[in-house]
Amino acid sequence: MKTFKKMLKIEGRLSIRDMNMVIFAIIMPLVVLIIMGVIYGKKPAFDGATYTFLEQSFGALSTIAICAGGLMGLPIMIADYRERKILKRFQVTPISAGMILTVHLVIYSLYSLLSVVLLWIAARVFWGVEIRGSLGVFVLGWFLVLVSMLSIGMLVGGVAKNSKQASVIASVLYFPMLVFSGATLPYEVMPGGMQKVVDVMPLTQGIKILKAATLGESVGQVFVPIVIMVALALICIVCSVRYFRWE
Amino acid sequence: MREVIKVENLSKFYGKEQAVDNLNFSVEKGKVFGLLGANGAGKSTSIECILGTRKADGGTVQILGKNPWTDRKEIFEKVGVQFQEANYQQEIRVNELCEETAALYKEPENWELLLSEFGIDKKKKNAVKDLSGGERQRLFIVLALIPKPELVFLDELTTGLDAKARRGVWKILERLKAKGLTIILTSHFMDEVEALCDTICILRKGKTVFYGTVKEAIQESPYEKFEDAYLWISGEEEE
Repeated sequence: MKTFKKMLKIEGRLSIRDMNMVIFAIIMPLVVLIIMGVIYGKKPAFDGATYTFLEQSFGALSTIAICAGGLMGLPIMIADYRERKILKRFQVTPISAGMILTVHLVIYSLYSLLSVVLLWIAARVFWGVEIRGSLGVFVLGWFLVLVSMLSIGMLVGGVAKNSKQASVIASVLYFPMLVFSGATLPYEVMPGGMQKVVDVMPLTQGIKILKAATLGESVGQVFVPIVIMVALALICIVCSVRYFRWE
Repeated sequence: MREVIKVENLSKFYGKEQAVDNLNFSVEKGKVFGLLGANGAGKSTSIECILGTRKADGGTVQILGKNPWTDRKEIFEKVGVQFQEANYQQEIRVNELCEETAALYKEPENWELLLSEFGIDKKKKNAVKDLSGGERQRLFIVLALIPKPELVFLDELTTGLDAKARRGVWKILERLKAKGLTIILTSHFMDEVEALCDTICILRKGKTVFYGTVKEAIQESPYEKFEDAYLWISGEEEE
């Protein structure tokens, strides 16, 4: 526990010093929220809708930080630590690989948590956004997205040969998911054909769960997304543990 | 005397090329062992195979009575390692690196004392990347000593240090040795090897071409100075 706390403190400090996560996980989602708030205000999602456009988008917004951490931060960090031989130095100490990974998973989770809390406060105070469904389901859905995105990140960081390759794979995953899964561009404004295409992306599925929770729709409609997310997370975790390399 | 490390028939192939060919040595408690040879002779590969960071193709290694390839966590509680190439997080500061390293061990050494012993305590708040080559080298020796080790591996111990700093490091090592620390080092400086090592092993293309004391190495060669004897034995002379 002492080791974990010390490492969390120091690695966390290094991460803040690096600023990437502060910008992409904390500031950027807020900027997107503010832009959407200014454009749509308290307007309903569509004529006759019982919820506002912003409420419809809130679930998606809350995943931006998760994507930044899971799809960009984590894989590049792991690959970079391996390439710089930092993992090799850890390998000749008593620390376990699991501990190092856990420290970083916690750091990225904390960023994501801070982001969703800030978004929630801002959205509620300025635009009256409410979670109409169960808060429990929202938390569960959010956690599911977090776990599956971080597990994808661990896998990418594990299999990438170097940090350059990791950042290419990360970009290929991050940008399309960010733009097309509904995290920035609302899923609802996409044409039907495009919606079918983006449905393949795991993040789209996660956002559907969050949306169901925010808008108070039944969770039954999102049973398939939940199964997909859990399966994906399990596969990625098993593979990333199996293929973990110190060097 | 107790054997702190025992290496038997260690072998490593890179494709068809044999990088380490049947390496055998053992070191007793409180002794300094030097692994020598030209660049590419197999020193670093040997050390990595011994530590288990690279997989050996044959042979056995025992450190403090245990197998480093399977009992990693126990062994590295009491073994310090300084690798040839420095490796640290990009923006990390000296005190952070020391603090984080100390947190990995059950009973770490007081790293602030080590820093001042090695004359880099004033650089505590500096980023590691902003240190001079010599300061960084000393910092990495400090890191290897943080576990209060019974055995340390120092790869290219004083490369990048000036003459005065090298003498300083020797003195500290002599003192640690007197307290019972066992040291395995690689070095390209023969004065250093002569001053520190009780036994040496000279590698040439992965093969052991000499194993014994510095004195014996000189006797075996037609020369009187150790550096000449080393060059003759290691085959560097002819190149």
